[in-house]
Amino acid sequence: MTEEKQYASFMERIRAGEKIEATDWMPIEYRKLLIKLIHMHAVSEIMGAYPEKEWVPRAPSLRRKLAIMAKVQDEMGHGQLLLRVVEDLSAPLGRTREELVSDIYHGKVKFHNVFHMEARTWADAGVIGWLVDGAAIINQASLLETSYGPYARVLKRICAEESFHMQHGENIILALAMGTDAQRQSLQTALDYWWESLLFFFGPQEVTPAAKQMMHYQIRLKTNEELRQKFLDKYVPRIQSLGLTIPDLSLRYDDSQKKWRYQAPDWHKFSQIVTQNKGPKSEERMLLRKKAHEDQQWVREAMRNHNISISSAL
Amino acid sequence: MQNNQNDVYEVFVQKSHAEQHQHVGSLIAPSPDMAVQMARENFLRRDHAVNLWVVPQSQVTSSTYGGRFFAREMDRGYREVKGYTENGRLWRMFREKVMTLEEIVAFVEEKERGETEGGER
Repeated sequence: MTEEKQYASFMERIRAGEKIEATDWMPIEYRKLLIKLIHMHAVSEIMGAYPEKEWVPRAPSLRRKLAIMAKVQDEMGHGQLLLRVVEDLSAPLGRTREELVSDIYHGKVKFHNVFHMEARTWADAGVIGWLVDGAAIINQASLLETSYGPYARVLKRICAEESFHMQHGENIILALAMGTDAQRQSLQTALDYWWESLLFFFGPQEVTPAAKQMMHYQIRLKTNEELRQKFLDKYVPRIQSLGLTIPDLSLRYDDSQKKWRYQAPDWHKFSQIVTQNKGPKSEERMLLRKKAHEDQQWVREAMRNHNISISSAL
Repeated sequence: MQNNQNDVYEVFVQKSHAEQHQHVGSLIAPSPDMAVQMARENFLRRDHAVNLWVVPQSQVTSSTYGGRFFAREMDRGYREVKGYTENGRLWRMFREKVMTLEEIVAFVEEKERGETEGGER
């Protein structure tokens, strides 16, 4: 079959809503878009564990400590599942796990703006658990119907685990919202700090050429703006019900347009954070990731080169 | 080497693209190709599937049953949804409802079932 015919029958499958599998023929553009998207997703899971891990030693109770540690484990686990998907896609291009991981600290792969930010207080940790995760859940839920089968299946598992994350984040927030004046104030301060980041999280309002191609191939089915609107739909009423003030006086629901009107985040500032790794915590966390990866190199080598049995541990 | 014995293959069925392969049982076959054929005849006479894997049993590394490997030293409610059932009661104090992941997925995919889960605005 000629390349042209292969492409035509591939697109026919996409339009019919069929799932593409790792062993199927696929256009190189489709493969590269998937790699770009899922690699960033995987790396965001891994770097997303950092702001919360910083609160493991400082969590206010043993139960909170166990729960936030469980979340950190989940995020790292999600990173592992997603990296496996990228690895299979990257194999024909000769790229291995080693590079996919070291790309993080070589600045060759981006991760979400929110994970460049600082978790300064327990309320920040709570807002990350509730709203940053909430935004991530909206995004991941929208990808469940992606045309790439292996990604769809991994997302299904990730989303199932996210349902604990949702309840966990809400529980921290509810406890603070019902707490002392100082706790309520720290919650408001956290919301003020994270709000712009949360809006930016969904990406630019315009549909970029890459996003357009992703929709063409049904890798993703919703635009950034559609997802941001859905986030606002679900979360604005809940934020307000807690008595919190959203730091955007222009925010309102436009009944005639059926859309939220909001003050756009500083696109330039946040895209600098993501593309140049210029956020408050970017450098520190990337160095930690580099150290973790390089310091454990000898362990990986030892495991590969010596037939180490762990059966006594079973 | 003359092969006059069938090998044992473990069979994994993928029922739809949305699901992972699931172990369904095993069979004996003279070759991997035959094992695939026989897996279809043995396990898919009625059920629909999109894919099959057969894996030589000799290639399976297994844990043991029992022992400490699967031990649960403590309650793990803190990492489960059911550990946070108080959220429903707490949200009601703020005149809101608890949100579930299923609700979010349905909302994002625009497959909501009526007004049963909304209540906002």
